[in-house]
Amino acid sequence: MGTLGAFLIAVGAISAIAAILAAALMIADATIGDYGEVKLSINGGERELAARGGQSLLSTLKEEGIFIPSACGGRGSCGLCKLKIESGAGEISPTESPWLDEAERAAGIRLSCQVKVKRDMVLRIPQELFSIRQYETRVLSIRDLTYDIKEVTLGLVDPPEMDIVAGKFVQFVAPAYGNSPDPVYRAYSIASSPSRKSEIQLEIRLVPEGICTTYVFTRLKAGDKVTINGPYGDFYLRDGERDIVFIAGGSGMAPIRSMLLDMAEKGIDRKATYFFGARAMRDLFLVDEMRELERRLPNFRFVPALSSPAPEDDWKGEKGIVTEVLDRHFDSLAGHEAYLCGSPGMIDASIKTLKGKGMPEDRIFYDKFA
Amino acid sequence: MKESARLKEIRSRMAPGAITLHGFLGTDRRSLQEIIAEDEALFARLGLSRESIAARMRELADQGGSGLGEPVAVPPHFEVRVDSERGKLPCPFGDKGGIRKTVVTVLNKRLGRSLSYSELGLHMLEAHGFLEGRGSPFRLEPAELAEILEIGAGK
Repeated sequence: MGTLGAFLIAVGAISAIAAILAAALMIADATIGDYGEVKLSINGGERELAARGGQSLLSTLKEEGIFIPSACGGRGSCGLCKLKIESGAGEISPTESPWLDEAERAAGIRLSCQVKVKRDMVLRIPQELFSIRQYETRVLSIRDLTYDIKEVTLGLVDPPEMDIVAGKFVQFVAPAYGNSPDPVYRAYSIASSPSRKSEIQLEIRLVPEGICTTYVFTRLKAGDKVTINGPYGDFYLRDGERDIVFIAGGSGMAPIRSMLLDMAEKGIDRKATYFFGARAMRDLFLVDEMRELERRLPNFRFVPALSSPAPEDDWKGEKGIVTEVLDRHFDSLAGHEAYLCGSPGMIDASIKTLKGKGMPEDRIFYDKFA
Repeated sequence: MKESARLKEIRSRMAPGAITLHGFLGTDRRSLQEIIAEDEALFARLGLSRESIAARMRELADQGGSGLGEPVAVPPHFEVRVDSERGKLPCPFGDKGGIRKTVVTVLNKRLGRSLSYSELGLHMLEAHGFLEGRGSPFRLEPAELAEILEIGAGK
């Protein structure tokens, strides 16, 4: 027996204990974590789902084909996947409490990615979310619009078509790559015409340190598979006869372009002026396409404005930041409505200018993910 | 025990790829508490506090914001540009709500030197005294902040 024998017995004992613990964990995982079948009653019983318990509500709904907007992929770090849960949600977890104010807690609002489905639930889901789907797509082409904006054209594979309203956005899933260990979800407005049901175009601007945009700029290529879901949003052209002011900058061009293409195809020739703000010529893009739209829509006018044209630009057009140019163009905007897309700073400044010109706030529309 | 679990969660959110591409800790091997405490000590040695630095950074960000991406002259000899992108980022410390993707660049024309900070970085300094780890793309050194923004004893 001796020292070697004692050592081998000790190793054997430790291995046996480890094996027993592993088996216990497997049994616990299969039993304690198994909540069996649970029922989800949605919108007062309009829809009843039977699902297997144990996952987050966000994942459970996704498996049932119901997509709740989420920018972080269910990690509890974006606060977008809020739903009203009338019963069955359990206590608010520490990870969701920072995202909920008192009124939301009182109303039963919860972060669906942080609520585990353990028992029957009664919940409310906004009707428009039922039309959202996940789409498998393939990159048809990528082209540079400027030095920091790319146009990505995605062909829809499964399902092969998407019903789109101009102005809506989709969520683009960048897979795990390099230093990014998990897929990330980012929202991009659809830039193409709604009539192109089998493909969509996105205009994506490189964001410093951005996980998704760095993926698009450094890794994505024609032929790659891309998963998206959507369409989302309540940014769309309202019916009516009012004159329109469009204001955008950078990749904010996308939903406005989609609206204008839709107007041209449908012959909606309302009086419309589109102010597009950029720093210099190198930041301007799709100008020829906008001029073509001016020809197709006689009451449409495209007004690019450069805030810092380079000497070599030889710029003869409007100069100044976009709100200054807007200010110079109109004495009153009391009878207009406005559609804005761009940086949060530009949207805030534009709203201030528009209201200063008499435009009621309820006629100013912009996408909420800004 | 509870505190260390929270710190572990914060650290995981600061890792590369969790919120930003390269994360917030860079190559720094110090603990979060060490990073914060050592920067606090550096501020004190410069006769500053994190509150006074953050207040100056906030003031410059507010003044630069009116340029909508264009440089704004701020007396006596600063030029401030605020670039913002659509979308929001969560705070890795788990604070409520999302923080806009904004980068402020301050050029000190007298020195001919500039520095950049993000809205998220400014929030983390204001709320947590955190200037990010060494080697992180948006790490700010207290001495550099004091010099370029011209704040501190005798400024």
